[in-house]
Amino acid sequence: MADIVRLDAVEKEYPLGKLSVKALQGIDLTIGKGEFTTIAGPSGSGKTTLLNLIGCVDVPTRGEVHIADRSTKTLDDNQLTQLRLSTIGFIFQSFNLIPVLTLFRNVEFPLLLQGGLTQGERERRVREMVDKVGLTPQLGQRPYELSGGQRQRTAIARALVTKPQIVLADEPTANLDSKTGGQIIELMREINHREKTTFIFSTHDQRVMDRADRIVHIADGRLERTEKKSA
Amino acid sequence: MQAVELGRVLFEMSIRNLASHKLKSAIVGSLMFFGTALVVVGTSLVDTIEASMAKSVTSSLAGHLQVYSSKAKDKLAIFGSMMMGKEDHGRMDDFALIKDVIAKVPNVRAVVPMGIDIATVTTGNETDNLGTGLRAAHQKGDKASVDVIVGQIRAMAEDLKKELSQRLKISAKPEEVQANIAIVDRALSDELWAGLATDPESVFQFVETKLAPMQSDGLLYYFRYVGTDVDRFKDNFETFKMAKGEIVPPGKRGFLFADKFYEDQIKHKVARDLDKLHREVTEYHRPIAGDPVLVSLSKQIPKQQRRILVQLDRNERALLSQKITALLPDTAGKPLDQQLAAVLTVDDSNIVERHEFFYDVIAPMVELYQVKIGDMMTVRAFSQSGYLTAVNVKVYGTFSFEGLERSVLAGSTSIMDMMTFRDLYGLMSAEKRAEVAALKAKVGTKDLERNDVEDALFGGDDSGEAVAEVAATDRFDEFAGVDLKGERARMEALVGQAFDQAAIEHGVALNAAIMLADPTKLEETRAEIQKALTDAKLDMQVVDWLTASGMIGQFIYVLRGVLAIAIFVIFLVTIVIINNSMVMATMDRVPEIGTMRAIGAQRSTVMIMVLTETTVLGLLSGGLGALAGAGIVSALHAVGIPAGSADIMVFLFAGPRLHPTFAASNLLVALLIIMVVSIVSTLYPALMASRIQPVVAMQAKE
Repeated sequence: MADIVRLDAVEKEYPLGKLSVKALQGIDLTIGKGEFTTIAGPSGSGKTTLLNLIGCVDVPTRGEVHIADRSTKTLDDNQLTQLRLSTIGFIFQSFNLIPVLTLFRNVEFPLLLQGGLTQGERERRVREMVDKVGLTPQLGQRPYELSGGQRQRTAIARALVTKPQIVLADEPTANLDSKTGGQIIELMREINHREKTTFIFSTHDQRVMDRADRIVHIADGRLERTEKKSA
Repeated sequence: MQAVELGRVLFEMSIRNLASHKLKSAIVGSLMFFGTALVVVGTSLVDTIEASMAKSVTSSLAGHLQVYSSKAKDKLAIFGSMMMGKEDHGRMDDFALIKDVIAKVPNVRAVVPMGIDIATVTTGNETDNLGTGLRAAHQKGDKASVDVIVGQIRAMAEDLKKELSQRLKISAKPEEVQANIAIVDRALSDELWAGLATDPESVFQFVETKLAPMQSDGLLYYFRYVGTDVDRFKDNFETFKMAKGEIVPPGKRGFLFADKFYEDQIKHKVARDLDKLHREVTEYHRPIAGDPVLVSLSKQIPKQQRRILVQLDRNERALLSQKITALLPDTAGKPLDQQLAAVLTVDDSNIVERHEFFYDVIAPMVELYQVKIGDMMTVRAFSQSGYLTAVNVKVYGTFSFEGLERSVLAGSTSIMDMMTFRDLYGLMSAEKRAEVAALKAKVGTKDLERNDVEDALFGGDDSGEAVAEVAATDRFDEFAGVDLKGERARMEALVGQAFDQAAIEHGVALNAAIMLADPTKLEETRAEIQKALTDAKLDMQVVDWLTASGMIGQFIYVLRGVLAIAIFVIFLVTIVIINNSMVMATMDRVPEIGTMRAIGAQRSTVMIMVLTETTVLGLLSGGLGALAGAGIVSALHAVGIPAGSADIMVFLFAGPRLHPTFAASNLLVALLIIMVVSIVSTLYPALMASRIQPVVAMQAKE
């Protein structure tokens, strides 16, 4: 399996007054295409920072991050944005839907940013994706009319509608009750199986870790161990 | 295509965002609404005023362009500058030369020669008039009238004595006042009047030269006039119309009073005051009671009764008494002065009735104007070389400009024929110079008669005064009111003398008004004329009507300035408020914007989104505001804004009411301004929003 994500000796420092805090200290990591990977670690371990670097919303202080064989080091803001748009789907802990738009429009939004599709194609893609997450009846509703689980499904649909190579999910079940959280994990797993989309999570949730192909444990900004499971 | 779709969604987002922040949108929206409405109403008003002022200026005195000498020390100010006194506008020695060059330029319809200056006219006071009457009555042998007039003169002398006695107490020069009292005492003595039987001329002389000069009410009028080719003026200023009398016949010397000046200055004081109160009450619906100025004016009118009484003979007095008794039975049996005072006591309830009574009964008995239509009038002015000149000129009538009848500005400049103007301005023809030389020679060699001795001794300004028209007479015109038949006839003859058009053309003018066939090509025609004059080596400058109008023309700039400041202030406030509220809104939406950025929205997309929001609000509320403004202007157009009694307003409005109109340009300017305001006010928040890092999306916790 070809690598889709490759981190070489990645370090990340954040300035904190006159000092700087080392969030990551030399991470080497590769993630293969279609893998369902969990990054686990306590709060402050650096797992969100790691996810940010993989998600190209941040760049490393030292070392290199390769996403789909492109190094993020030399890219400017516009190019990073373009890379995110074309390659990565995001699922956030707080769902982060655009409150004023309907479910349909929220899912359609990344397609509009990408451009290149006719209205009919867009609509078909959105409907297909929404159907997959089981929200067709809610198509015209706005986020505040949806339950937490429905919102996260919408976010999943939004993340997947562009058919990204990687989906990043930052503690996607943290704001959901355990039953709903479980359903969400199952849904993602299912999509991972069907579409061969690479999923990378950060989580504390044991159930999420249970469903992962591989668990990357992080502590104090260092890779502690990698746990491989056979699905 | 895709961009359009994205734009549509951004637009939808902005509408929904606006809807979800109702209070903020309402406040910003109202500001933009009022601001745009103000721009539409304000610019429409100023545009309309500029158009109406253009009409006032171009159609009354200025024409579309004015040409005058480049050597002028003062800038041409057709309606007067703020500086009082004589102005130097240079001169064109041969008007025809300049006219021929200008007339060749296409789009020039007419060139009217002009010379604007200030002059004075003196009219006899009441004692003068009585003196004239006394002389006439005595010559006719009308003993009864002589007695009445003598009684009137004595009554006046008594009033004078009272006044002088008061003055004596406070005067710094008591000896002068004492001398005057001695004169008044003589007027009161029987001995003087006994002289009528023996040496009437010395009595007349006493009244006219000693007593009359002590009374000084309303003797001297300053006025502005324009010396011009009357015919050409009449034909080319379309709104010119005669108000009273007739126009100066072609090729004749003559004078036309501006009707407004004639009514406001030359008219009998009682009539003027009654007119004013009548106008305030009936036209402006401004009650006398409660307005201190009007109340004070109304209190003065009864005190003026003597101004009427002195002009009435015995029969007229009896008739007047009878008419007043019919109107006010309470006054029956009272002396006429008390009756007259009673009838002249006006308030809101009786002003209409008393005004009518005055014109029906009293006006036919008195001299309603100090200078009558058809009178010869002596006009004096300082000539260009500084000495005082005087000319006699016949008053043919009064004129006004359509719509500007009530404007002092348009109605304060009278018209004089070009030939008389040249005499008065001290630009004498060769013929005239010879006449003056002859006069000087004559005065120098001749034995002084009794009259001339007086002139020599007391006419302090005589030495510097060249009396052009009256040259042939021994009399100086200080006593012109005392007309000798021969003198009058001689003057009539002079007035009757015609001159031909060539005399007007080939002579001096100070400036000239240029009328254009197509006034919209003002600036290009101005430049063409300027070039034509320069090419012809004529040292002339051509200015547009706005520049030529002087101070009044600056008013439009003041108005525009005030409007611009008002608009600037309201939009500055709007910009600050929009900026603040958009900064707040952006901070509220940091996670949302961060998410959009993470998902793949470029910075520019975020910026456009924020800008769209304000622009949509701006166009929406600005559009409504522009419509409301247009509605207000339309309503004002239908109703008309009254100019009121303020002269400047009448002039600016080119009439008693302004009917403002709006053009598409007013709406476009308003919308353009609101767009600029929307964008400027949101630039900072938009920039701020575009700098939100996508990483914040990952930190957002609900």
